[in-house]
Amino acid sequence: MVKSYHPVSLQEALAIRAREAVTPYAGGTDLMIKGDEKAGYLFLNNLSELKKITEDGEYIRIGAACTFTAIQESELAPAILKAAVSQIAAPAIRNLGTVGGNICNGSPKADSALVFWATDSKLRLVSSRGERVIPISEFYLGRNKTSLQADELLAEILMPKIGLNNYYYKKVGARNALAISRVSFAGILEIEGGRIVNCQTAFGAISEVVIRRPDLDAMLSGKTIEEAKKAVKEEYLRAYDQAILPIRGRISAEYRKVVCMNLLRDFLESNGI
Amino acid sequence: MVKFRLNGQEVVSQAQANQRLLDVLRQEFRITGVKCGCKEGECGACSVILDGQLVNSCLVALGSIEGSTVTTIEGYRETERFAALDKAYASVSAVQCGFCIPGMILASECILAKNPNPTEAEIRAGISGNLCRCTGYNAIVQAISIAAEEGKGLW
Repeated sequence: MVKSYHPVSLQEALAIRAREAVTPYAGGTDLMIKGDEKAGYLFLNNLSELKKITEDGEYIRIGAACTFTAIQESELAPAILKAAVSQIAAPAIRNLGTVGGNICNGSPKADSALVFWATDSKLRLVSSRGERVIPISEFYLGRNKTSLQADELLAEILMPKIGLNNYYYKKVGARNALAISRVSFAGILEIEGGRIVNCQTAFGAISEVVIRRPDLDAMLSGKTIEEAKKAVKEEYLRAYDQAILPIRGRISAEYRKVVCMNLLRDFLESNGI
Repeated sequence: MVKFRLNGQEVVSQAQANQRLLDVLRQEFRITGVKCGCKEGECGACSVILDGQLVNSCLVALGSIEGSTVTTIEGYRETERFAALDKAYASVSAVQCGFCIPGMILASECILAKNPNPTEAEIRAGISGNLCRCTGYNAIVQAISIAAEEGKGLW
């Protein structure tokens, strides 16, 4: 008999997680595809502590067990995140699937995770020993490999509140619904008084982990739109052309590369650069 | 042992918590209106309404629904809303082989429950997780529009 657990609080869930080899279950939409007969689940889907969307001075705080539908319907969730989750799968899956599961599954194709990368969001990981808050980039160690410890749970995603309004998001899939991303791209560009103060981009679904290169995006910082267009644009695109090395999946690496560069150029040009 | 409400009745399943709700419904409760198409959330044939929301029962572990309410086509067919959808689907021949229809009807219910006057685009988005290999969808979309119109006040 495989043991599964129904904790009624996060504290109880962490105590079980610390002593048993159980699989955390939030939405189940990735886990149940495998349908492992030997799996013992730690059911987190009714823990209200993990299903809240709140804000403080610095962050929009999204509970890891919030479903994609809950995010679509939330007044607090930023538009860039809504843009991504509303294109995930189909309504029945969005009603169950969660952002925490999307992240912890470890896939570079996770559409909500891409937005958390592009926005330099942080993850609050908790265990009965305490908690740690890390940038999402430190969470991913490789394909399906994360730094989540055996006794930890992802509790919240902390999205920075400012600078998210001017965003760009595109998912390229084979269909409008129920499509896995072939290439996905998210970018934010903050412009103040005609000057770019911050640019952040991320490319999903093309390599072992999401590609996020703040060092390259910094090339645009401090420039006016005109300066960026005339003096930096081509150099910036060349730098990404060298930095992006897609792997072959169901589709070719060459196709992915072309689409990435087209999306990056469109992101710039849609901002007048 | 998991307790939940199935089509208006309290039930207790003896199956293991990691089992798919789809299999429990079909095998333990003989609720065979829930169809098994793909077991990976791609087809929508196994759609049920779980606590008011459309879900794919193949992607739901039994243990996750302790205390929840599940409605399948067997329960839904007793409602006036079903009668309106049934009539609308029949009026435009929106059913051919029928395999997708239990899921499609429950998806239709969830569209109208959320939005009694959906646009065509909203209807198409609402059934975007339910595949139909026969009809080409147009008749189904039309049927849902007709049900919304003819069934005014039901949703």
